[in-house]
Amino acid sequence: MSSLNENDDANSQNNSYGSAGGGLTGQFKPFASPYLNFDPGYIPQAQPEFIFLDGGSKQRGRFELAFGQIGGSCMIGAGLGGVSGFYNGLKAATLAGQAGKLRRTQLLNHVMKNGSATANTFGSVAVIYSAFGVFLSWARGTDDDLNTITAATATGLLYKSTAGLKRCGMGGAIGLGASVLYALWNNKDRLSDLGHYNPAQR
Amino acid sequence: MEEYTREPCPWRIVDDCGGAFTMGLIGGGVFQSIKGFRNAPSGINRRLLGSLVAIKQRSPIIAGNFAVWGGMFSTIDCALIHARKKEDPWNSIISGAATGGILAARNGLPAMAGSAFIGGVLLALIEGVGILFTRLSAEQFQPQLPPMEDPSQLGQKPPPDYQY
Repeated sequence: MSSLNENDDANSQNNSYGSAGGGLTGQFKPFASPYLNFDPGYIPQAQPEFIFLDGGSKQRGRFELAFGQIGGSCMIGAGLGGVSGFYNGLKAATLAGQAGKLRRTQLLNHVMKNGSATANTFGSVAVIYSAFGVFLSWARGTDDDLNTITAATATGLLYKSTAGLKRCGMGGAIGLGASVLYALWNNKDRLSDLGHYNPAQR
Repeated sequence: MEEYTREPCPWRIVDDCGGAFTMGLIGGGVFQSIKGFRNAPSGINRRLLGSLVAIKQRSPIIAGNFAVWGGMFSTIDCALIHARKKEDPWNSIISGAATGGILAARNGLPAMAGSAFIGGVLLALIEGVGILFTRLSAEQFQPQLPPMEDPSQLGQKPPPDYQY
């Protein structure tokens, strides 16, 4: 019984204490829960809070993104290859005058073969690019556009390295061009600032 | 490794597809380089060349097969998570069996059954090993409680502002 009385006493005191402590910020009553030993009013609610590890970079690393990129390019390749295989298959089947079951099977074969071939090509290129990118960002310690351009050029060179010097150079040029375009698009805000001098800045 | 969390569900499919493709490309590259080296005509130059050609021709195909497996597995896994509203080892086992079955669909019913069985057993083994490792590594995190004294005998009242 004595413990119950004590409890009652605590409850009756609670109101006066709560109003005294109500000078703190926030719409929550201070110390609303026995597990919360700070005033929730101190938690900023206007802006989101992100927690970064000390010394960690504030974006996702190359390795974290690599598998997603590889899988994405694989799937895009399968889609593109499937569509082009469907188109080619339609043309070929019409030219050969095939109809009915034969036509259906031929179309399926075209779609599957072309789709998997394109998916394999895209995926392999993505794997090589990701490997170069992860290696470069690990070796240089930073992750910037120079990494992207270098990795893409090296990927193009390596992928066509067995097809002769000329085609090897072509592959490298394609990688370089695509990555430079991507880097320009990625930095278009800074580029548009570059065009006109703004004296208000700095 | 930065990769210690998995993506949320729809993106997990893409992620697993990429991971499986990479695994297949590297593993297939190693395997095909040995196979091409052994199967080439004699002479170290020709053997190395045969190795290279085998890697170039065969390993993307193996990688593609792996990627299809991974993507299908993840798709079924996500569908099961959505349907069953929980994530447990049974999801993986069921989706492994279903993936094996679906991907062997062109080879007839007996092949489908065999493939599904193999897929289910494989995933059950993987999940079992994972659970085993979790159990083993959990041993060292057993909390060791310090001898607690009953706070009521210390004569302290609880703070007056407790509100539940």
